[in-house]
Amino acid sequence: MLLSFDNVCLTYPPNHKILDNVSFTLAEGGFCFLTGTSGAGKSSLLRLIYQSERPTSGQINLFGEPLANRGHTKQAELRRKIGIVFQDFRLIPHLTAWENAALPLRLTNADEAYVKRHTQELLEWVGVGDRMDAHPAELSGGEQQRVAIARAVVTRPRLLLADEPTGNVDDDTALKLFHLFDELNKIGTAVILATHQSQLVDKFQKPAWRLQGGRLTSSLSSSQSFRA
Amino acid sequence: MSLPRHLFTPAFRHQHLGRSFAAIVGIMVFIASFATAAETVLLTAGYLWGRTMETRITVEIPAVGDETAMPQAERVRQVTSVLRAMPDVGLVMPLSDDEVERLLRPWFEKPELLKALPLPTLIDVERKSGSALSAGQIQDALKNVVADARVDDHGAWTQDIWRLVRGLTILGAVTIALTAITLILTVSLICRAVMAAEHETISLLHLLGAENKDIARHFQKQAERIALRAAAIGFLFSLAVTAALLFTTRHIADLSSLRVGHWAGLGIVAFLVPVCAIFIAAISARVSVMRLIKSFP
Repeated sequence: MLLSFDNVCLTYPPNHKILDNVSFTLAEGGFCFLTGTSGAGKSSLLRLIYQSERPTSGQINLFGEPLANRGHTKQAELRRKIGIVFQDFRLIPHLTAWENAALPLRLTNADEAYVKRHTQELLEWVGVGDRMDAHPAELSGGEQQRVAIARAVVTRPRLLLADEPTGNVDDDTALKLFHLFDELNKIGTAVILATHQSQLVDKFQKPAWRLQGGRLTSSLSSSQSFRA
Repeated sequence: MSLPRHLFTPAFRHQHLGRSFAAIVGIMVFIASFATAAETVLLTAGYLWGRTMETRITVEIPAVGDETAMPQAERVRQVTSVLRAMPDVGLVMPLSDDEVERLLRPWFEKPELLKALPLPTLIDVERKSGSALSAGQIQDALKNVVADARVDDHGAWTQDIWRLVRGLTILGAVTIALTAITLILTVSLICRAVMAAEHETISLLHLLGAENKDIARHFQKQAERIALRAAAIGFLFSLAVTAALLFTTRHIADLSSLRVGHWAGLGIVAFLVPVCAIFIAAISARVSVMRLIKSFP
């Protein structure tokens, strides 16, 4: 199993419960939408996966190992296997689109020629091949989002986490981006896509988990299971 | 890992933090290099000068008012004869009147006054190497020849000078140590400010899977590049100031007797200062970053 949550709770002080006994599993190469209203805990759940936060209780297993009590080196190694598309893109403003997208690959000590070629191909694939030398401030919201996606998948991660990746783009661009995630999933990357745009979720016929009041409700498919 | 070279550049530009960083390193290197050079010159010159002076004794034969009793020239001849006969005495060299005049000239405003005064005769006496001959023993030997001859052992007052040199050396070492501590603290503070400005980038690198040591190493390299330039400028400036100071005070501290080895030693010691400063700056930068990153989840 790629990812599993087992009775995970997340509470912010003093007693604000964000996630309440959340349990689910995601198989290798699976795809699911994570839906819910704004503030439902979607981002918090993703943060628990990429270990920006720690659960108050419960156990999370990723790539067959528990996340708790990992050292910094092991944690970094694990994060390199995850691609993250942040809600606010988090592109570094003084780096070009190409430099931003190449960043995770450079962290893996990849050969510079490979970094150059692969990043270039990827930026062309996401549709910003002609904007590689532009800085984030010179790019539109949609272009920035594509660069952020390119950065998230440049290392061919086993798991892609996307937090409201279409929150800042128009419907047409959002649809194109969803197709992009679908294509990534088809080549073997497991995807968890947090969004509140239910009309887009409906178009894709993929399983969707819904967060409400800190608890998870779901529609299921063969590659995902869920126990609330 | 080959992160973009300019990854942290804007942070160092933020509110001129990089300039402050460079200025601090440059000034500290200047102070430490200058203190080190001054200390080394002081020690070397003091050693060479002291080595010469501590073997010397000066015999002063006061001028006689009544030349009919025994002329001054005869008194000098008798004293030199006694001195030369002593087994522990190496060199006996009476100073000419012109030399005595030259020695006394700084104390007299009007040179003609000096001409009018009866000048004593000074005899420079050098003890043989390893000899324990004291001023008292010479005084005793001269008692029966020229009773009013005065013997001055330079070894006694050079000890005071040595104590002063040692005191100044300790002061110099304390100055260098304080400079190093100030450098560490200031660089750490500036690095923290830089890190605060670049918190987002570092946090992102962390989430993308960068290892702490890699982020720290990259930040350290950036700090090193700035420190290298600043230290070079500080070092060259201190060299120029030291050279100018030595040139203008050459009549006080004559370093012409320093050998090539002394100059080479001085050069190496002075060169170590900027190298140490760059090292301190780089390590302080690294430690600051590591501390911050470790606070991330």
